[in-house]
Parts: sequence; C-alpha cells; structure tokens
Amino acid sequence: METLNNLFLIIAEAIRSLFADPHSVWANLTMNVINFIIVVIIVVLAALILILLERKVAGWTSQRPGPNRLGPRGWFQTIADALKLMGKEDVTPAGADKFIFKVAPMIIFCLPMMTLAVIPYGRNMAPINLDLGIFYFVGISSISTLCFLMAGWGSNNKYSLLGGMRAVAQMISYEIPLLFSLLGVVMITQSFNLGVIVEAQSTVPFIILQPLAFVIFFIAGLAELNRAPFDLVEADQEVVAGPFTEYTGLRWGLFFLGEYGNMTAMSALAATVFLGGWQGPAFLPGYVWFFMKVGVMIFMMMWVRWTFPRIRIDHLMHLAWKFLLPLAILNILLTGLGIYIYRFVMGG
Amino acid sequence: MFGKGLLQGLGITFKRMVGPNITEFYPEEKPNLPTRVRSSMGLDRDKCISCNMCAMACPNSVIKLTSEKNEANKKVLKTYHMDVGRCLFCGLCTEACPTKALKVTQEFENAVYEPEDMQWDMIQRAERKGKVE
Repeated sequence: METLNNLFLIIAEAIRSLFADPHSVWANLTMNVINFIIVVIIVVLAALILILLERKVAGWTSQRPGPNRLGPRGWFQTIADALKLMGKEDVTPAGADKFIFKVAPMIIFCLPMMTLAVIPYGRNMAPINLDLGIFYFVGISSISTLCFLMAGWGSNNKYSLLGGMRAVAQMISYEIPLLFSLLGVVMITQSFNLGVIVEAQSTVPFIILQPLAFVIFFIAGLAELNRAPFDLVEADQEVVAGPFTEYTGLRWGLFFLGEYGNMTAMSALAATVFLGGWQGPAFLPGYVWFFMKVGVMIFMMMWVRWTFPRIRIDHLMHLAWKFLLPLAILNILLTGLGIYIYRFVMGG
Repeated sequence: MFGKGLLQGLGITFKRMVGPNITEFYPEEKPNLPTRVRSSMGLDRDKCISCNMCAMACPNSVIKLTSEKNEANKKVLKTYHMDVGRCLFCGLCTEACPTKALKVTQEFENAVYEPEDMQWDMIQRAERKGKVE
C-alpha cells in the first residue's frame, strides 16, 4: 500500500538516480520537463474526457443516453470531434487584429497547465511546490479574463467585442468573492502553500469548518469559468458565441480545451482547499482520492449547468457585489472571531 | 427560504439523471408503438371469400380485387391490389370484412422511392411476409 501510495515518488527517485548527482542542474531540469509533460497530459486527457462527460450528463438530465454511436457507448466521440476540428479550415476574419487574434487561444490553453502545476496530487507530489501557491493560482487564472478580451477585440466583430466586455465585467467582479472565500482557509492554516493546506486537513476537511466559504467559492468559481448559469460571455442567444464567434477549427478547439482545462484546475483547487486534497481513508492511494474529489466537483459543475437557466446580466452583478461579497467578508469576520476565541480558550 | 427553488431544481435533474432513459434506439430496436396504431394492411388469402365488401366500404376506392370460380362453384381470390397512396388507414375495410381476412397491422416502414411502389399487391405481400416468418 505504501509503495502504491508513493509510486510516482519512487519513479521520480529512480529517474533521478540515473544521474551521477541526483540533485544536479541536469537532473532537476529533466524532472521539470517530465513534470511538465505529465501536467500537459492531465490537461489534455481531462479535456477529452470532460467534453464527453458533459454531453453525457446533458443527455442524462434530459433522459437521453447522450452520444452513443462511436465506440462502446459512444466513448470515442470526442476523439472523432477533435479529428474533425483538425480538418477544418483556419479562417482569420478580414480586418482582424491578426496577432492578438492568433495569440489569444494559445494563452488560454497555457493557463490551466500553469495553474495545475502547483496542485499537490498526493503527499509531496506537487509538480512545483510554491509557498505562494494559492496566490499564484488565482493570479494566473485571472489572466484568462485578458484572453477573452483579446479574442473579442481581435476578431473585429461586434458580438465578439460585446462578449469580451461582458467577460471582463463578470470575471473581475467574481474574482473578489472568490479570493475572499479562500482567505478564511488561509487565515486558519496561516499559509498560502497548497501542500500545507492539505496537511492541515488531515482530521477535518475545511468544507466543514468553512461551509459558507465553499458555497461562495463554488458560485464565484462557476462565474469565473463562464459556465452556465453564468455563461453570459458566450450566451449563444444573445451574442452568437461571444469571443469565440470568429474562431474556427483548431483555434476554437484550443479555447474549448482551455475552458475544460480551467474547469479541471478550478475543481482541483476546490478539492485541495476545501475537500482535503489527497487526504482520505488509507485503502486507496492519495492521488486516487484527489482525482475522485476533482471528479465530484466537476460533476457538480455539470449538474448545475444542466439544471439552471442563464442569469440576467444585472442580476449577475447584483449577486456578486450585493450578496456574495458581503457574505465573503462576513465569513472572514466569523473566521477571525473563531480563531480568536479558539486561541483564547486554548490559552494561546 | 432563499435558494430552496435552486435545490429543488437540482433534485429534479438528479432524479432524471439516475432514472431510465426514454430514448428508443429505433433502427436497432423496434419502438413501442401505441396499441391502436394503424399503419399498414395485411391480408389472409385463405380466409378471403372475395365478397368485395372491403372495396365497397372503402371511401377512397383504394381496393381493387378480382376473383374466379373454382370447380365447386366457389369464388376464389385471383388478384388483390391496394393503392396505398390514397389509403387513409381508416380501417373501414377491416370492419366490413365478414371473415376478418383483412387486418390493420402495425408495420410502419412504408416509405418508398417510386410512386409505383405504392401499388401493393396484397397476395404477393402476404406470401413474402410468410417467407420471412
């Protein structure tokens, strides 16, 4: 069991021992490249699986089986879709700001890889163990706002621009409750390091200590990811497809990959901060627990998406500024009080 | 309570998710048609006494049949044609049939490419169906 739990660490040690000095620059570089490849594989695999799962969940909620033609129970559908996307013509609209137009999907595809690199997948299994993990994560994931604006601006299309502007308004508003909801956990653990936060949850996951923060995080996270019921950025009925209107083929596919990658990253953060990360009963290895928790979070997001209708844009802003933000501040206040009382009682 | 409706909605979709699908896999599996569907006609040649009641009952004169007399001076069916392009599947012919030789059936894959294919030779169809079974 212990071997299985540390399987990846043992493999890493084995690779390091191939070098004369296991901690030389070359060994570190090799390990970093391997870690990078693993994160890329996680992002791409997650996107491939999630796109299918999304369609399956959509089907199940409306009493259909979902995609069911290609492969066993339709499990190869996404692969066929990806191949189709590759075969499509790459169109750059006339009058587009070509550089911005082309660079936006590339950046958005990089973001989930950068954010997933700091997540601890198991004990000592973070590809990069950053002391400012949460800070880095939120900072990087907020760059996606910029990508949406770049795509909207570069497309030279009024719908795209509208969608891009909506993205900025929505994502910046929801960033604040999202950050504040994480603050309670940081106050308890006194650390921004995701590894330390997971270690602190060995007895009680923070969802029990911080239920309000979890709800705020979940709602704000949905809005941050532009997922229904907060998908005003790409609301088909209003702005065609928002910033993606003019994108075709693989560029559009990159946006799609980025969206699902970001969803994985956000679920991974939720699993790490609130659900106890890789902590769990010892009959399964830590990384299995971690990915199960991520899966549960992703399923919740899909479930919400296929249940609720899209929120109106003024209600969206009201929800962020008049409801979630005061609640988040209240949560910080209560957490502070709780910590103070705890110290007082424990005589600290 | 605030948010009660949201939870209720989630509950409904979850019930749908775990419940059975209502999709019918049509080409692979035959659909469950309602019991009183009338979509095709079938003739039992041996039961038919060539009384022509069906042709008289038909409001659109779909049915044309001819008969001949055998040695025992009984009428025997010779040809039985239906112009299904005009047929309403109203079932009046089956009600008129004294021996229940003509029946409404539930086959529904009646689409054809040529107008001529809508002229059904009921005797031939009955034989073909007998072979399939």
